[in-house]
Amino acid sequence: MATTTTADRGTHREFSIKRLFTQSSAYLILIFGTLVTLVPFIWVILTSLKPASEIIRMPPTFFPETWTLDSYRTIFTDPNVPLARFYMNSLFVAVFRVFITIFTSTLAGFIFAKYRFWGKDIIFGFILVQLMIPFQVVMIPAYLILVKLGLVDSLWGLIIPSMVDAFGIFLMRQFIEGIPNELMDAARIDGSSEFGIYWRIILPQMGSAVAALGIFTFMGTWNDYLWPLIVITTHEKRTLPLLLTWYNSQHGTRYDLTMAASILVLLPILVVYAIFQRRFVRGITMTGFK
Amino acid sequence: MEQPNVLAAPTKGKRKFSPLERVKNKFVTRSLTPIMAYMLFFSLLPMVWAVILGFFDYSPIRAGGGFLGLGGVNPFVGLENYQAMFADTQPARVFRSAVVNTIMFAFLVLPINLAITLPLAVIIESIHERFKGFFRAVYFMPTISSAVAVAVMWGYIFNPQQGLLNSIIRAVGLTPPKAWLTDPTAVYFGVPLAMIAVIIAYIWQDFGYNLVIFIAALQGIPKELQDAARVDGANAWHTFWRITLPLLKPTLLFVIVLTMLSSFQVFVIFDVMTNGGPRNQTTPLVMSIYENAFRYQHMGWAAAISMVLFLMILVVTIIEFKFLRTDWEY
Repeated sequence: MATTTTADRGTHREFSIKRLFTQSSAYLILIFGTLVTLVPFIWVILTSLKPASEIIRMPPTFFPETWTLDSYRTIFTDPNVPLARFYMNSLFVAVFRVFITIFTSTLAGFIFAKYRFWGKDIIFGFILVQLMIPFQVVMIPAYLILVKLGLVDSLWGLIIPSMVDAFGIFLMRQFIEGIPNELMDAARIDGSSEFGIYWRIILPQMGSAVAALGIFTFMGTWNDYLWPLIVITTHEKRTLPLLLTWYNSQHGTRYDLTMAASILVLLPILVVYAIFQRRFVRGITMTGFK
Repeated sequence: MEQPNVLAAPTKGKRKFSPLERVKNKFVTRSLTPIMAYMLFFSLLPMVWAVILGFFDYSPIRAGGGFLGLGGVNPFVGLENYQAMFADTQPARVFRSAVVNTIMFAFLVLPINLAITLPLAVIIESIHERFKGFFRAVYFMPTISSAVAVAVMWGYIFNPQQGLLNSIIRAVGLTPPKAWLTDPTAVYFGVPLAMIAVIIAYIWQDFGYNLVIFIAALQGIPKELQDAARVDGANAWHTFWRITLPLLKPTLLFVIVLTMLSSFQVFVIFDVMTNGGPRNQTTPLVMSIYENAFRYQHMGWAAAISMVLFLMILVVTIIEFKFLRTDWEY
């Protein structure tokens, strides 16, 4: 501005230098953090692109001297590793669990949010108690129940015990409580059934909440390890995390192979994350899901 | 709250259900009953069963008589499983070290995690809007990654010969440890080296979660409060300690409890990276439950251990409810 004196500009510049210093040190720290986060991933990718002979060389190289896809070729052509099969196993379990969990959570959440009935508070309190019981504490009887149901060593054994999620119900109730009742009453006047209200009025308004629940159910299922480890015994029925530990135990010192296998397990979820990154982060802050 | 309903028939003195109320009740009963029955069967029943199992010497390989296979060859033993925890036997020693390992792990992970995530969140909040999303997205990447893949990755990074970490340590002219994950004699300040290695990998994977929570909480604090403090002459440091941190208290407590609970339940990363070794130095409680129940088939004993884990989690949860109440809002 024309009226600014040189003195003013002086103090302004001083302030800027101080600000520049704090800003640049902030970026330095953040870039360092980015390196710490990304270098392990990069190193694993680079390792999977090295030939086996280069892996065992001392001192180890960071960038491959010879670039090769041999490790991936070995995995893809290994008759013991029908990869498509394992992807399908993981996808099958995850998709079923996501849709069933969304359905039961929204339906029960809707009822707890919008209806009055006898024993409601007690039943809801019972759901809250379930929140405090970690899976690891009940996994032994859960397994014994599965044995009685004849679902051991079956992919259904990974789906059926977890079709209702106490946290999901709790969360969906919170969201549905915020939806006004007027639309529901209008639908009733138009002759809609109660389930029709749930299906046509409530569900369509829950996009972001359902997306958050879906994303975290999917992630939890896709990365789940302990329960499949207990339930699944047949090789062909393994999910991806089980496949990876099995492969790791078979080829423990062939790091080119185990790192390529790790990448193959990581890749789908990283791609999904790259596309829906904002939804992931929003979902976490919205739900406190872990 | 239910709205007063225009369709509800006028009640004639007696407490009767209107047609609409009857329709609603039918819907509630039909929808909720299966869901609650399911919860009873797959949540409450296992919990009760786990408590009961803890009082039995139960093994699924013995064909037990009676209800749920309890009794007969799987006899009721009262508190013997719990008394055995204090005995001078090998399983009891492994159990006790599992308790120590789990608590040690949780109490090391928590402060390190907070010391990284809270300042990092403040720094991310201080930079230009355009770059926030990028850093947040990058830092969150390990969190969504498969824990098994991360553990396999870090097992290789800690490899003493070809591993990345030792290569870096050698490159800067220091002498790296001979073995990160397998040397039982390497203990620093009472913490086994293998435990330290697992903690590093675990924090690398897990820190993005708390970071995102903190960033969201910081964004929720009205800027006017910090600006007012600045006008009153407080520097950035003071503003953080006196204004921002007290306002973060609810978030901080939430994060502390969640971090503790998930550290208590840790399994995958230990199972893949160290498999509990060397000499059970890195066996957490969940691994102890898993091994006893599904490898040795000592399910009664394993159920008793799971009750100890439950108790630990309960204590943390109760402390949470006591402290999570905050006295003021903004």
